[in-house]
Amino acid sequence: MGSVLAAASPSPAPAAAGASQGVQGLASVPPGFTMPPLSSVSPTSGQQTADAEPPLANPGTYEECHRKCKEVFPLQMEGVRLVVNKGLSNHFQVSHTVTLSTLGDSGYRFGSTYVGTKQTGPAESFPVMVGDMDNTGSLNAQIIHQLASAVRTKIAIQTQQHKFVNWQCDMEWRGEDFTAAVTLGNPDITVGSGILVGHYLQSITPALALGGEVVYHRRPGEEVAVTSLLGRYTGDNYVATLTLGAAGGHATYYHKATDQLQIGVEFEANTRMQDTTTSFGYQLDVPKANFLFKGTVDSNWMVGATIEKKLLPLPLTLALGAFLNHRKHKFQCGFGVTIG
Amino acid sequence: MSGAANGKTGPSSGVMEWIGSACRFATDKTDFRRNLLVNLGLFAAGVWVARNLSDFDLMSPQPVT
Repeated sequence: MGSVLAAASPSPAPAAAGASQGVQGLASVPPGFTMPPLSSVSPTSGQQTADAEPPLANPGTYEECHRKCKEVFPLQMEGVRLVVNKGLSNHFQVSHTVTLSTLGDSGYRFGSTYVGTKQTGPAESFPVMVGDMDNTGSLNAQIIHQLASAVRTKIAIQTQQHKFVNWQCDMEWRGEDFTAAVTLGNPDITVGSGILVGHYLQSITPALALGGEVVYHRRPGEEVAVTSLLGRYTGDNYVATLTLGAAGGHATYYHKATDQLQIGVEFEANTRMQDTTTSFGYQLDVPKANFLFKGTVDSNWMVGATIEKKLLPLPLTLALGAFLNHRKHKFQCGFGVTIG
Repeated sequence: MSGAANGKTGPSSGVMEWIGSACRFATDKTDFRRNLLVNLGLFAAGVWVARNLSDFDLMSPQPVT
């Protein structure tokens, strides 16, 4: 599959600053012997380096806090899906998707991805334009661009045939140890409606990040504001995240047991729907066998799993998925092939 | 058989009743607070399983018998 990310230019290796190079010419070394390495910390200046604490890193975005655990869980598959990906260049990729389904709509979807030439990191280039359209004319499109070194903006549009359903613009500011973002959704000046979302996430310690979210929704004759708080603790091989608000709570625990096994536990409580759910999921990745398995079980008596197998040397990936809801006596399975 | 040996079926029937009431408590969807407690317990159990029962190496060679 062609990669749409611009090839990363190899950064020059930093010049080795060995301590032994600093004392050249002070003593002659007999042949066959080498100078012992000197300590980089002199006795007189030990206090300066002992008190230095590692600077706080950027905590990432508010939406990514629960994502690591969410990615462990399998996605529900239904029907048959054929995906063909073709990279036309390092910057441009197209995809063709044919879906056959009994529950949802069957059809064809064309997608394209463009990645620009402004490279800001080894795996990041801007602008990024992603869009896809189905055979009924419904469009999903988004543009992501980095305006400055710390400011990133995104515009997303979704239409259902000829009607605009969603349109939103958001701006994100990444500081040294914090991230702030503002999102404006579905603004309508004529009616006086719209949604304004504000996110803030601050690194308190290298392991702890705290943040909050404010959602303000305005409609003619009605306005609602909802606030929630978030806390994330990152350990050596685990991430625990908790979100609490008036609408309920959401807790996730991600644990990387080994390189092959990752486990996720999720708890959701919705005070409006008066419903709580706990889910347990795991992901088994065996790269040597080109095999990826995800399984889940939750408190609603739902059991599900997906298997992905790369059929090397062909550029084929086979995906099988099945979900069984014991309480509702419903079963659904899916089959997918990805080429490229 | 059904009610002759009351001494033997007494404790076992009490245990069965306790198990049945515990299952009804855990699966009753009508009380939100009860569901919240049950699911919090399940979440804690899931975290315990993830931290303590997942330290097996899948790529280790199988023992020779």
